[in-house]
Amino acid sequence: MAVQPPERELETLDLYINVGPQHPATHGVFRMVLTVDGEVVEDCDPVIGYMHRGNEKLPENCDYRQIIGYHDRTDYLAQFNTEWTYCLAVEKLMGLEVPERAEYIRVILGELNRIASHLMFMGAFGTDVGFFGTSFMYTFRERETIQDFFEAVTGERMMYNYFRPGGVAWDVPDDFEEHARYVLDRVRTAIDDIDGIMTENEVFLARCRGLSPVTPEQAINWGFSGPMLRATGVKHDLRRAEPYSIYDRFDFEIPVGTQGDVYDRYLVRLEEMRQSIRIVDQALRQMPKNGPIMASGLKRTIRVPPGEVYARTESPRGEYGVYIVSKGGDKPWRHKVRAASFCNLSALRNMVVGNYVADAIIILGSIDIVLCEVDR
Amino acid sequence: MAEETTPTVQQIPDIPVLRLLREALPDLEFQFIETPLDPTIVVKREDLLRTLETLKNDDRLAFDYLRCLSGVDEIEELVVVYHLRSFRHGHTLAVKTGAPVDDPRIPSVTYLWEAANWHEREAAEMFGIVFDGHPDPRPLLTEEGLGYYPLRKSHPLAEVEEWQERLLEVEERVRAAMAAAAGAPAPVDEKAQKVALAQKKAEVIKKAREEARAKGLSGEEERQYVQEALKRFEEEAAQAEAAAPAAPARPADDRAAKVALAQRKAEVIKKAREEARAKGLSGEEERQYVQEALRRLEQEMGQAAAAPAPQPAAPQRPAGPEDRAAKIALAQKKAEVIKKAREEARAKGLSGEEERQYVQEALRRLEQEGG
Repeated sequence: MAVQPPERELETLDLYINVGPQHPATHGVFRMVLTVDGEVVEDCDPVIGYMHRGNEKLPENCDYRQIIGYHDRTDYLAQFNTEWTYCLAVEKLMGLEVPERAEYIRVILGELNRIASHLMFMGAFGTDVGFFGTSFMYTFRERETIQDFFEAVTGERMMYNYFRPGGVAWDVPDDFEEHARYVLDRVRTAIDDIDGIMTENEVFLARCRGLSPVTPEQAINWGFSGPMLRATGVKHDLRRAEPYSIYDRFDFEIPVGTQGDVYDRYLVRLEEMRQSIRIVDQALRQMPKNGPIMASGLKRTIRVPPGEVYARTESPRGEYGVYIVSKGGDKPWRHKVRAASFCNLSALRNMVVGNYVADAIIILGSIDIVLCEVDR
Repeated sequence: MAEETTPTVQQIPDIPVLRLLREALPDLEFQFIETPLDPTIVVKREDLLRTLETLKNDDRLAFDYLRCLSGVDEIEELVVVYHLRSFRHGHTLAVKTGAPVDDPRIPSVTYLWEAANWHEREAAEMFGIVFDGHPDPRPLLTEEGLGYYPLRKSHPLAEVEEWQERLLEVEERVRAAMAAAAGAPAPVDEKAQKVALAQKKAEVIKKAREEARAKGLSGEEERQYVQEALKRFEEEAAQAEAAAPAAPARPADDRAAKVALAQRKAEVIKKAREEARAKGLSGEEERQYVQEALRRLEQEMGQAAAAPAPQPAAPQRPAGPEDRAAKIALAQKKAEVIKKAREEARAKGLSGEEERQYVQEALRRLEQEGG
């Protein structure tokens, strides 16, 4: 017969656990103060700003071309996507037409950047869940080929600074297509590897399935975007909903989840990589072999007519927006960055409270934050 | 730059979203701004909540997604921009409202969209906008707050910090002292002169333009008129310069002054060293001797420069060379005493503890002697 422990009237105290700011599980310099009762999180206070560098103030004192580099330094895992958004904003204000070949280059690089970013997510998220180094080993082996490809095109491994308002900085190397095809082949194996070790893994399923489900209404109200929003079942992708560039020419699916839980967020990203491969594949076939890569008639110093615009694109983390107010001249009056992970992270408290401490780390990992983008 | 403003269109175009808003709120007064992507309206602060509540809750509009909230400093007022999207209808709208700088209160919209929470905290911290009714109005990016509003236009991007200013001052004084030592007049601030000239020119141009406009001249004629005025101004300036009694010569070239100073110093050092060797001083003493000679030189130069400029920046040395030498000598002496005492103690066959005491006593004796 099982002996019931006597009911004791003990005075219990809530315990504060300080996670971060220097901790690998916070994916950067991020701190959250958890109030726990036993193993259950009762309150969570996210503290951000450790990486705040004034990325909105500095561009107000910069020439429109100097600003491109600052966008590389917001979301450092999706640099092409951020540069793209900014260039889009300037192009919309100036009414610039981007040459077709430049648009294709942008799409190919942007989609490969999405794959690279999601591979990074797979590696880090696997580590959060309990694969330790294994997931990183599999993803980074092939992610390296993408990095090499970007290096061949731009000359840089991280801060590409390659897109320009009106096109791209210089033409791509001669072996662009073969190199891209080689990268796609390698990435396909990486996705299959990750799929093989993670998707059906028993531990992975036990830890992720049903964790912190979010309803579509909540997700919209909390300002979610990107895979976080699509995991809840909202079929919303800016590439389709508000098409920019030449995305209306490609055939691709928008993967959505059903539960909005951590597992769905993972599945959506996994499928998104496959769709990105489809887009790159089509773009490589359609891309004109030669032609201009820069809008004609652009002066060295860009002067933007007065006006304002909120440009947004679908970055790997969601909606990356740039709001520019111009009063004429060569510097923006106001330059605001709407960072996708900033908005996704703002609902962390809602998702974490009521879960176990160990799961809080997984939930944080599933948002796929980039702290440089959150803090700007 | 500030003269140019965002163009507002008085005639409100026939956009479906605006038509729906008109139907839902027939008495709302708003302005329309043309932007490349989203239709933008400007409402009064008093109408803000009414407008946003309708935009969110009215089934025809159903703006359920606040995608971005930005603050903008428009100098005379602080503006907040709400970028909205409707998932049900797929349309977008931007709403702007402003508050005067001396009363920057704007109602919080967190009860409509929870997404506004962090956006409003950030705007409050960066612009000093007070969001009335915000559930958690702490600073967001700077945990302890800043005490100033970095994204306001009144906050400069970078300021020369106090210590840098002091550094610049010291540098200036040293330069003046060196120039004086080289026997040249104090340098003239060329940049300030240029700025003054440019300002004068700008005044002339402005005046000429106003006169031309008053006379009703055409664009081409106006330009000519301004050109003539400028030419007259330049001629006058040239005459004034020629008439001025011996305009200050091209001032001391810094480098020449520096070279002269270095040469002089080298001479002093050489002489001092020779003297020291003649006296048969040791290495340490020789160094001190040279240092003293150098200090005398600096003092002389400081007195020379003292008339126009304050004492050249002779930084106060916390420990002068003589102090240092004395310290070294003392330490050496001590080490000797300790060594000797230890040897004596061992010769006497004292134990470890006794030995320590013996050494201590020897040291105390040394201190007394020194004192």
